Amino acid sequence: MSEFTREGLEPLATIGNDTPRIDAIERVTGQAKYTRDWKLPGMLYAKVLRSPHPHARIVSIDTSAAEALPGVRTVISYENEQVVWGAGSVNGGRQYNDPTKDATIHRRYIFNNPVRFVGDSIAAVAAIDRHVAEEALALIEVEYEELPFVLEPEEALEEGAPRVYAEGNLCPDFRGEFSPMVTDIGDFEAGFEEADQIFEERYETGFIHNAQMEPRCSLAHWEGDKLVLYTPSQGISNCRHDTARDLGLEDHQVQVIAKYMGGGFGNKNQNQDADLIAATLSRRSGAPVMLEYSRREDWLGVHGRWPTVQYYKIGVKDDGEVTAMQMRGYSGMGPYRKNSGGISGMDAYACPNRYREIHPVYTNRTTSGNFRAPSEPHGFYGVENMMDEVAYRIGMDPVEFTLKNMRRPTEQQQFTNYSLEEVIQDGAERFNWQARRRVVPGSDEGPIKRGAGFSFMMFRAGVGTSSAIVRVNASEEYTLYVGVTDIGPGAKTTMGMIAAEALGVPLSQVEVVWGDTDRCPYSVGESGSRTTIMTGIAVVEAAEDLKRQIADRGMPLGSDVLIASASPIPTTDGMTRQCFGAHFVEIEVDTRIGSTRILKYTAVHESGRIINPSTARDQIRGATIQGIGQALYEDLLYDPDSGQPLTPGYYRARHLTHKDIPDIDVHFIEVDDGYGPFGAKTTGESGIILAPAAVANAVANAIGKRMTSLPITRDKILGAMS
Amino acid sequence: MKSLINVNVASFSEAVTAAQAAQQQGQAVAFSGGGSDLLQQIKDGTDPADVVINLRSIPDGRVIRSDGSGIAIGGLVTLTELSQDPLVLSGLSAIAQAAESVGTPQIRNVGTVAGNITQRPWCWYYRNGFNCFKAGGNECFSVNGENGQHAIFGGGPSFIVHPSDVAPALVAFDAVFQVTGPNGDREISAEDFFVLPITNPERENTLGENELLTGVRIPTVSANTVSTYHKIMDREAWTHAEVGVAAVIQRDGNEVQNAKVVLAGVAPIPWRVQAVENFLSGQQISEALAREAGEMGIQDAQPLSNNSHKLPMVTAAIERAILNLAAG
Repeated sequence: MSEFTREGLEPLATIGNDTPRIDAIERVTGQAKYTRDWKLPGMLYAKVLRSPHPHARIVSIDTSAAEALPGVRTVISYENEQVVWGAGSVNGGRQYNDPTKDATIHRRYIFNNPVRFVGDSIAAVAAIDRHVAEEALALIEVEYEELPFVLEPEEALEEGAPRVYAEGNLCPDFRGEFSPMVTDIGDFEAGFEEADQIFEERYETGFIHNAQMEPRCSLAHWEGDKLVLYTPSQGISNCRHDTARDLGLEDHQVQVIAKYMGGGFGNKNQNQDADLIAATLSRRSGAPVMLEYSRREDWLGVHGRWPTVQYYKIGVKDDGEVTAMQMRGYSGMGPYRKNSGGISGMDAYACPNRYREIHPVYTNRTTSGNFRAPSEPHGFYGVENMMDEVAYRIGMDPVEFTLKNMRRPTEQQQFTNYSLEEVIQDGAERFNWQARRRVVPGSDEGPIKRGAGFSFMMFRAGVGTSSAIVRVNASEEYTLYVGVTDIGPGAKTTMGMIAAEALGVPLSQVEVVWGDTDRCPYSVGESGSRTTIMTGIAVVEAAEDLKRQIADRGMPLGSDVLIASASPIPTTDGMTRQCFGAHFVEIEVDTRIGSTRILKYTAVHESGRIINPSTARDQIRGATIQGIGQALYEDLLYDPDSGQPLTPGYYRARHLTHKDIPDIDVHFIEVDDGYGPFGAKTTGESGIILAPAAVANAVANAIGKRMTSLPITRDKILGAMS
Repeated sequence: MKSLINVNVASFSEAVTAAQAAQQQGQAVAFSGGGSDLLQQIKDGTDPADVVINLRSIPDGRVIRSDGSGIAIGGLVTLTELSQDPLVLSGLSAIAQAAESVGTPQIRNVGTVAGNITQRPWCWYYRNGFNCFKAGGNECFSVNGENGQHAIFGGGPSFIVHPSDVAPALVAFDAVFQVTGPNGDREISAEDFFVLPITNPERENTLGENELLTGVRIPTVSANTVSTYHKIMDREAWTHAEVGVAAVIQRDGNEVQNAKVVLAGVAPIPWRVQAVENFLSGQQISEALAREAGEMGIQDAQPLSNNSHKLPMVTAAIERAILNLAAG
């Protein structure tokens, strides 16, 4: 079920109508060409040799037998190819750019020695087919000197812990200094003095893999000194720039093509090591090289969401006013700092005294990096379970407690619009919160217990720069050039819809050209939920320009065309722009066997005006499903003795099947705040933020025990009940 | 993936001959029914096969038929066929339910009865290439490691759990397994087919070199027999039993005349809980009886460091399975 509330919004011609994706037919009939479907003449196939050890120094490597195997064209290793994968490890985990590349202390190369996790890459082979390449890998002789390893972030900071780098295991910040990330607002110590009660708890969350359908894959070939790269990138412009920088090329010497891709959820941001390895093998062998990771390689070799440990301390008055919030967090980054290690959530509260100290820590686990709302779901789980616990302990309804303590616009910081209260109230009503929650948690008689949980969020929906080109010919056929690739939210279609709306023509009159850096202008990259807003604004502006040209000069005649381009620099006039959401869950726990079943799930979002209702709804549903998986199922277990991962892949990591997925009611409250294309805001990431918090709160409400560790597996439930 | 030789055979005896021939040339051999798991093991390097003997080309291995002495199920019958067969559905519910609970429809459409019974353990150490007992080594890494899914009964020196759902149901129905090998055919009771690691830590059953399971025979069941398979999974599909219970009861009204209760997911073999069986005999099925039987079911359990959560699960699963079989 889904509904759209559009009070006060004028209906539009194209936008706001359920619209099938413009590439749907190609996708469902198998005509869509994904990276691994491309074939180039003389193409070679590559395989990567990876470390079987969590931490080891390579004493020697002998590739001669592999090179001698018939069919092998090129073998490269850390000995003869030291290419920096810049986006693979960045000081401070920030967006990769020229200054950060230079400043980064702990670099990740396409091949590494020492190796620092099981799956770290060492060498690669290009051969006439995959089987020969795989056989060749087995012929490479590597002598390792095994080194001590560390898996848990807190242990890694203990005195005498094995060191991933000589300087220690606390990751350097963007300045290259070894200090935690600190946010210090107000005076938290004074805030605790003011409090009537103080609550403390430790929360932890697991490693979650992005688990996109299509493993990372790259096809590289060189036309002279120009690299053509077919790769499933979430951002072809960033991928091109990163790849050019890593290989010492100019941007125009790299063409990135991503016509269709099988998802990414954040892990195909920037460029991939697969791109650089394929490009390097191709340059050496003089032939196109296809490198496709296996599921296991994709799971272990690159990255997923960072595991965390979060210690909260909350001061509260008897009337429910929060006076101080303190959090000390640890994020396990694996051995390379691919992203921040952030733990968000506290910012959603108005409490004037907040202290947060996050330690991003190197370990010898698989690297952590971008995954749909990188810093949020684990952080919102931690803080909103802490606050839910506080609310029940002081005898308040968590919704009331939230309405009292959540962040609101202030004179100093205004919002373009603010719907959080409306979203929460609307959700509580639709879900029938008062009837479903247990005022006394765990109070159901008998072993089958029900309860309800809630969570809320606000998330960035800022504006920024991207580009678009629109052209019209004498037949009044419009062509839109945008550098999107569509990682799932349907950017090709939404950009076409925005253009059609702005041009005042039907979508069928607009052809969209996407996914090729030689044909499309810069687009911001489908990360950070930015594309609809930023590229959308550029599309509107280019369309407006084209309309003006048509008005001034009339439609082109003969073989003439009119072209307009735009790269606007929009602002929100100093205001903060956020999307808002609240999720409500009813869960049933069978306390005899520790199993859980979601009975009702209501998600209410304000994401501005919705461009394409069907894809927006599915964005929220898909993200919610991932969040439920994080709450109840997914993890990557490691053997503590050997440092070996035990549960990679869909089967072992226990991703939800269709049978496990509950009905998810999605409701959008639509507004137009006057910013963003026709008022559109963020959707893609916002849905994943709330499910872990809401589901865990629901479990606690059902069984009367706070679940302080994700995933909430049956052993934890049965342990709490025993 | 390494290169393989595929050998299609027309009969089980031909399969044995082909296996012997390959073995004499120093090649590792595997028999393949559905192959859904085997091929992945070969790709992962946890099965060393050079030669795959494809049994699907045997024309008469895929039949379910009734004769005077019971029901014969060909080893190549798929799990889908097993779960939908009228003979199985009418008299052998636990077997149909167990077959239907395996994996996914795709797996059940290719996976065979014999393959399900003889599949290798899904222990994450074994499947991740650790050199454990099951891989020919001499260690079980779960003992001091991650053992949340491992055995609470019959463990040591290996603590795997047997992965089959169908096997416990077959044991509960006193099935007889038919085996073909270099020394001809033999029959063995389902219960005696499986071996504990204390006897042979490397294998899960008594199949000798180049022997294979060709079929299953279920003796005629009496008209007053009822059965069920109750499976607790970590998700609704595509996973093995955390705890499973196959229960077969002959009853008169609500009085149990005879009971067989066999557990899945908790021991290196389908695990009979004879204490429960004996206790049930002659008793009236009731909630109290079922609860007591469930508690009795974990009397001999020896959990490891991280799997004691299986104890209440076994208790609840036995209790619920028995209540499923109450009259009316």
